[in-house]
Amino acid sequence: MRPRTVELGLLLLASIVTAGAYGLTSLGRAASLPADIVPFLGIVLALLLLAHVVVRRFAPGADGLLLPIASFLNGLGYVMIARLDPSLADSQSAWTFIGLLGFTATLVFLPDMRRLAEYRYSLALLGVTLLLLPLLPGIGKEINGAKIWLRVGAFSIQPGEFAKIVLAAFLAGYLVEKRELLASTAYRFGPFSLPNPKYFGPLLMAWSVALIVMVAERDLGSSLLFFTLFVVMLYLATERVAYVFAGLLMFAGGAYASFRMFDHVQKRVDIWLHPFEDPKGAGYQIVEASFALADGGISGTGLGLGTPSKIPVAPTDMIFAAIGEELGLIGATALLIAFLLFIGAGFRVARLAASPFEALLAAGLTALIGFQAFVIIAGVLRVLPLTGVTLPFVSYGGSSLISNYIVLAILIRISDRSSRQDQLRAT
Amino acid sequence: MNDRPLKHVTVVLLLCFCALFAQLNRIQVFQAEELKDDTSNTRTVQRDFSRPRGPIVTSDGVVVARSITVDGPFGIERQYPEGDLYAHVAGYLSFTVGADGVERSYNDELTGRTPALELSSLAQVLGDAETTGEVVLTLRDDLQRVAKEQLGNRPGSVVALDPRSGAVLAMWSAPSFDPNPLASQDGATANAAYAALLEQEDNPLRSRAFRDIYFPGSTFKVITASAALSSGVATLGEPVFPIVDGYTPPLTSRPIANFGGRSCGGNLLELLRASCNSGIAQLGAELVGPQEMVRAAQAFGFNVVPPFDVPGAVASKFPTDYGSLLDEPTPELPAGVYEDTPSLAQASIGQNDVSASPLQMALVAAAIANGGRMQTPHVVAEVRNVQGRAVSVTENSTWQTAVDAGVATELRIAMIEVVERGTGSVVQTPGLIVGGKTGTAQLGTDPPKSHAWFIAFAGYEGQVAELAIAVLVEGQEGASEQTGGRVSGPIAKAIIDAYFQES
Repeated sequence: MRPRTVELGLLLLASIVTAGAYGLTSLGRAASLPADIVPFLGIVLALLLLAHVVVRRFAPGADGLLLPIASFLNGLGYVMIARLDPSLADSQSAWTFIGLLGFTATLVFLPDMRRLAEYRYSLALLGVTLLLLPLLPGIGKEINGAKIWLRVGAFSIQPGEFAKIVLAAFLAGYLVEKRELLASTAYRFGPFSLPNPKYFGPLLMAWSVALIVMVAERDLGSSLLFFTLFVVMLYLATERVAYVFAGLLMFAGGAYASFRMFDHVQKRVDIWLHPFEDPKGAGYQIVEASFALADGGISGTGLGLGTPSKIPVAPTDMIFAAIGEELGLIGATALLIAFLLFIGAGFRVARLAASPFEALLAAGLTALIGFQAFVIIAGVLRVLPLTGVTLPFVSYGGSSLISNYIVLAILIRISDRSSRQDQLRAT
Repeated sequence: MNDRPLKHVTVVLLLCFCALFAQLNRIQVFQAEELKDDTSNTRTVQRDFSRPRGPIVTSDGVVVARSITVDGPFGIERQYPEGDLYAHVAGYLSFTVGADGVERSYNDELTGRTPALELSSLAQVLGDAETTGEVVLTLRDDLQRVAKEQLGNRPGSVVALDPRSGAVLAMWSAPSFDPNPLASQDGATANAAYAALLEQEDNPLRSRAFRDIYFPGSTFKVITASAALSSGVATLGEPVFPIVDGYTPPLTSRPIANFGGRSCGGNLLELLRASCNSGIAQLGAELVGPQEMVRAAQAFGFNVVPPFDVPGAVASKFPTDYGSLLDEPTPELPAGVYEDTPSLAQASIGQNDVSASPLQMALVAAAIANGGRMQTPHVVAEVRNVQGRAVSVTENSTWQTAVDAGVATELRIAMIEVVERGTGSVVQTPGLIVGGKTGTAQLGTDPPKSHAWFIAFAGYEGQVAELAIAVLVEGQEGASEQTGGRVSGPIAKAIIDAYFQES
């Protein structure tokens, strides 16, 4: 079947799931269907069809799975956010709309991703600037102890969300250019071959960026993600396990040092190790998340029938626990599978990409989404210390949603070009 | 870009998500019940807060908890007319701090969500009849009041139960607390009351009866005696221990002294009657030995969390590791010598790391009175539907067989001897057969302080005793063997008098 047909069918399915969940939530809460269920379904359908038409017009050969999976995640997230805090529903739908605009703009104005490689050093500068902007007095803003916000009129945006994309593009360009050098062997120790130490430069840069984010902005989650992104892309470009080990060592060193130096890091780790020691104080958030999940059990309490608003910051960091409560193990597992499908589709785009730069960019951005989902879910489930990053496409938050839609557009653009190359070759 | 590194990254991500899936199963399936029962989990309570809820009453009909209609967001509020008297047993239902006690463990019965209650109201064919359940306690209000009055403002606990059934007749722990503010609809009031209770150093929220453990002191000697009788190393008459003022176990030069430096000795009956430290310590360490001591303590329910229908009961403790055997048994030292035989000597008289809850010690007395069978303790007698018909009755069951009937009879004789001619004479009651054992667990000598214990059973001649009691008064001034009998004995006596006065 042609990818656009698949996409259209799956998008219809995603909108039915979203509208169905919306209706069920209202049935669960007020025992009646919401008055706006028909317009709601209409708007969801219209938005998704719009995205579909944009793809059909500007990237007709692209993979047909990515957009439906993203819409499913976004739809389910919206229903849960509206259920948790109705006052956030309007802004989340506005963000979704703006996200789709960003998606369209990326597809329209960036017909060839290879152009980005030419601007790699400007991108590096732009990325670091975006990252450091919140530290500037006057426009920077601190929320919950993290200095990662920028005040723009009535809105707060997180430039770091966009910095991730820009830095991934820089890295892809840089690594494709330098990968021969980076992969060369300078020293051998038995079975281990080590590159020339001076090529550890990029790794050091990644490390310093991660440290700045963690120390100056107190954003542990983003710091971890930046570092993971750099190490993964370095490994993908060079196939050198040495970089991964060096990366892990540096990470361990940095983590240990920051654990010793910073109270807030110690506190996070402490809560992670002993959440039930202070269930009403420090461990409250994480303990309530576990209680919510336990309440959900295998099949969930049912949409609208649980009490997920008891979980602190449920619409953002903790949305996975809220979904796990009302949709149970089954629903939470479906969410995990959706992310795995997205990762699979993204990596397939990377594998088929027409140029090394596009391949590396697609793989890096996909890995970023995958690891970000892992880091926040792992935090909610007490697998890792909780760090405040959003669950891609699902959590409440404008910057995150818009940047995720831009990533989606980049993947779709790369996928489209590779399929056209194939067609050229075939004919 | 090669496929190979991409495959590796895919595998890593797949493994990461597998870990998430595994942990999700752990939380949502395997640990779910445990998490739902966690005391800091207020979810179930909050869901049930505004539901109709049946009352909790004592066996003699005093209302301990009931729901009243009030103005406010929920329309219903829980009220505890007896204030602090039943706070540790009935517990509380709070919107902000959760639920405890019977309010927690019988939540489904009180809200009418058990199949039995739902069926019974279905049978009434009364449209929207209430299905709430009334929970009837085994506790008697008169005995509970006596326990509270007698203990006064001293910290401690009184537990009285029926040895034949395990039904708790009185269970008081001081200091207690008023559960009414915790049940307030106003979250701020409830939270402030809870915070104030948490701040108090004497911990009024925690029931000393079953959530705390203490050195049992000499009351534990009945278990050492039971180990000796069960393993056959002694009878009440043989062997005879020397009359000395202290006993020095092997491997140490520190003697275990008798109270006040007095000399005592004799056979097991005489050792128990005088609560003789030297003889009992020697009996436990040199004749009985670690295996049999541990076996006997565990047969009396030590090292196991008692099955109790109020949440949060803790296990009483008896140490199980005494190191390896150093010297093989000899005729002089039939139990052999272990690395930690000196600790075993201490443990035999209820010191060292031995600790017991008042509930557990009441069960010890009860088991001895009941032919060796320790009945499962419980505070709920039955659940009734709104028509007042019993829909479920707590069945009596045996938790542990502590000793066989023969040994139980001998221990019973010894405990009666303690009351008739020994340290427990304060509980003598004309017309009744009363057995007991005092205990004074020393906490320190400067100033001398100790836990004063008394365990007892009482009943009519020729019948199984109807009442078993444990009294603990915490941290009393003084540390003589008389302390237990002098301080705690009269409390036990008052309970016995109250129980038997009308019947």
